[in-house]
Amino acid sequence: MKKWMQLALGILTGVGGFFDIGNLATSAQAGASFRFQLLWSLLLATVFVIFLVEMSGRFAAVSGKALPDAIRERFGFTFWAGPFLILTIIHVLVLGAEIGGICFALHLVSGLPVPLLAPVVGILVWLLLWRTTFSTLENSTSFLGFLTLAFVIAVVVHHPPLREIGAGMVPSLPHHDPAKYWYIAVSIVGAVLAPYLFYFYSSGAVEDKWDCKYIGVNRGISFIGMGFGSLIAMAAIVVAAVVLAPRGIQVDDYHQAALMLTDAFPFWGFVLFAVAMGIACLGAAVEVGLSMAYATAQTFGWNWGEDLEPREDARFCLVYTVAILISSLIILFGVDPFKLTLLTMVISAAALPFVAIPFLLLMNDRKTLGEHTNGWISNTVTVLVVILSGVLALVSIPLTLIGGS
Amino acid sequence: MDLVRDVLDKQLVDREGEEMGRVDGVILEIRPDGPPRIEAFELGFVVLARRIHPRVESWLNWLRARWSVRKTARYRIPWAKVQEIREGEIQVDLRAQETPAYDWEIWLRRNVIRHLPGGGE
Repeated sequence: MKKWMQLALGILTGVGGFFDIGNLATSAQAGASFRFQLLWSLLLATVFVIFLVEMSGRFAAVSGKALPDAIRERFGFTFWAGPFLILTIIHVLVLGAEIGGICFALHLVSGLPVPLLAPVVGILVWLLLWRTTFSTLENSTSFLGFLTLAFVIAVVVHHPPLREIGAGMVPSLPHHDPAKYWYIAVSIVGAVLAPYLFYFYSSGAVEDKWDCKYIGVNRGISFIGMGFGSLIAMAAIVVAAVVLAPRGIQVDDYHQAALMLTDAFPFWGFVLFAVAMGIACLGAAVEVGLSMAYATAQTFGWNWGEDLEPREDARFCLVYTVAILISSLIILFGVDPFKLTLLTMVISAAALPFVAIPFLLLMNDRKTLGEHTNGWISNTVTVLVVILSGVLALVSIPLTLIGGS
Repeated sequence: MDLVRDVLDKQLVDREGEEMGRVDGVILEIRPDGPPRIEAFELGFVVLARRIHPRVESWLNWLRARWSVRKTARYRIPWAKVQEIREGEIQVDLRAQETPAYDWEIWLRRNVIRHLPGGGE
């Protein structure tokens, strides 16, 4: 019974954690510019993320160790120092994008300028981490995450052409703007395969004291939770395709994206978009902040845990405090949240090899995992992710320069 | 036992199971009449910096000279204190709170965390 409760919570976590500012921005852009044609890249990234999340949960359940901990131990500090530093910088930027997203959601309903809201939002995110326990966060942010289902309801209301949606699930070459097409495809993959997700999920499994009995539950959470999150991101593409594309609205700012729900919900659409966006970003901001603190504490071997009082793990708390401070300052100084989001998605995609390669070695370590090492299917998928991540690392920066503007 | 695989970078816990850093470096004793022996573990950012590049180490030393909290840059745990080497962690017969491994933690508690709302007793 307790394990099934975990499944429910885990699914909720998936809903809260998968769909964030990156998915919102890239989905809106994909739908507005290429209608259903980029659905395949989201589908592909979803398959990859399900496998990687399942692996990080399985590793934590069997070994009792989260990923950053295991990577430093197995690969040594000289390997991990570089990726750790790069991922930390990326995560500060992602946190800035999420905080910017919350600010924008508040801007939509209040009319106050985005930068001015940054200090308030920064303090709100910090208070959530500072004052609450892990399970409270898990329950509250993920329960509210259900509001993002508004996108799925909007799809039902619009009756989109199902055949075209089906066709979009198969990769095809673009009819116009090829550079932009591939640039958005890469951003979608970067938004779905967010590095923090795996560090957060595996550390969360350690916080919840998982053991080998949770391997089945973990599989269910990965598949249903990530699948559900992906459904919402797909719904956002479809809604953008039906609402924005026919009117020739290109998304280069969140103001255009905010029109997505106004057709399906004439009166409430605008507010509903703001609430869904705010909640999705808040859930993600909390996860990114915690993920950074987990990764840093584990890298240096400090004591850590969201259930401890701040005075019991001062260094752990300092990490997310400083991260939130810097991220809020980025928004306060007037950096555009939309541009920041797109930038971080592309950099995330470029940094993917650092995330993917350790999986291949850790998940085949018989000494730690015993009979729970990867089977051939998981290994094939991991190899594919490693190859794809190498390609993305090479093409993402040039693509941004040609297709990003 | 493999020194790099089983000792270096491993999590250290004190006698109560509290995390107290990782094995950042290993000091070996070269003996004329036998194989080298582990003399001590070394802990500290300076030890880590040296593994990246000597220049990073000297840069960190420069920083330390201005703002250090820790009494010693390199904290050595003698091999005699090792209680047990387990899968994934090494237990030592010490109390983390009383060692330099906790200097930063305690300094932050006293000087930062305590002054924030909800960070006190």
